[in-house]
Amino acid sequence: MSVQVVSAGGRAWLRGVRDAIPLLGGYIPVAISFGLIANQAGFSSWEAIIISLVIYAGASQFLFVGMVASGAPLWLVVVMTLLINARHMVYAPNLAPWLTGNRWWFWLMHGLTDQVFALAHTRLPALPSSERLGWFTGAMLLAWFSWVGGTALGAFAGQELTGRWPLLNDVMPFALPALFVVLLAPRFTSWLWAAALGCAIVVALLFAANGLPNMAIPVAALLGAAVFFVMQSNTRAEV
Amino acid sequence: MAGELWVAVMVAAAGTFLMRLLPLVWMQRRLAREDSQGATAAMPKWLGVLGPVMIAAMLGASLVPVAGTLNAWVATAVGGCVTLLVWWKTKSLGWPVVWGVVAFGVVRFLNFVVI
Repeated sequence: MSVQVVSAGGRAWLRGVRDAIPLLGGYIPVAISFGLIANQAGFSSWEAIIISLVIYAGASQFLFVGMVASGAPLWLVVVMTLLINARHMVYAPNLAPWLTGNRWWFWLMHGLTDQVFALAHTRLPALPSSERLGWFTGAMLLAWFSWVGGTALGAFAGQELTGRWPLLNDVMPFALPALFVVLLAPRFTSWLWAAALGCAIVVALLFAANGLPNMAIPVAALLGAAVFFVMQSNTRAEV
Repeated sequence: MAGELWVAVMVAAAGTFLMRLLPLVWMQRRLAREDSQGATAAMPKWLGVLGPVMIAAMLGASLVPVAGTLNAWVATAVGGCVTLLVWWKTKSLGWPVVWGVVAFGVVRFLNFVVI
């Protein structure tokens, strides 16, 4: 996969903020929903905001407040939250070759969500190493603040907002799949990659459409990787 | 929020943070060790494949529209095609997303107007 080096014009963190703007379309409506649902589950507005601030992992937060509201044992709530977030374990090693030795990276890993990983995995290799820390800081902070801000909006004024602009709540989340399309399109460089990526997309779509969104990503990724390695070994065997 | 609930929030938060951080420490040590041994520092092949397929899986999961109606699926297809088309023309990050969302929104809006 070829990597095009981006010129160093402009401040790196500002470039990070700019690149992360498409994430807002997906983050803010979902965070508003989280604030609203946490309120309805009996959490105060400030408690909902603190959960978004410290856990900062969308799907698992919905599960957390839902399970607490249903009276599930707290140890089970924590275990299920961590299980859903376990997929995050493969993100940082994938970025490691492009991270510099600065210790700040460790703290910045708090912001390594699905979407920030997808963005960083595409953008970091194209940046000079001197700009990567600034770029990631800008992108990560914008995403984090938008998630926390959206939660606050939902917790304090969610019902009024979704009542007044129902279509906005419906349309803005499309920014996320659109962003993933843009991040993924340059990776269709061969039949091998097209088959692996296509398989992952279709399997995840089927799982999510059938009410299994939490299983969709790990299962689809494993099957996509399996397709890659099986096809690769078959190609080698034929040669 | 009761005391034990705060503990649950903090344990979930710390666990999530460590799951994001510790694999980085492991990989950085591995790369540094290979580098010091004179070998070319490289990620394991399986990890290099897993990154892009994870993004593909996120795309698949995110394609399911909030409203599960036929119009919402058509809007998803139209929005996806417009996003790809604008990316093909501009090779940029922001504009394809903007036009994809606009196309999705237009199809959804038409549904509201017609019905």
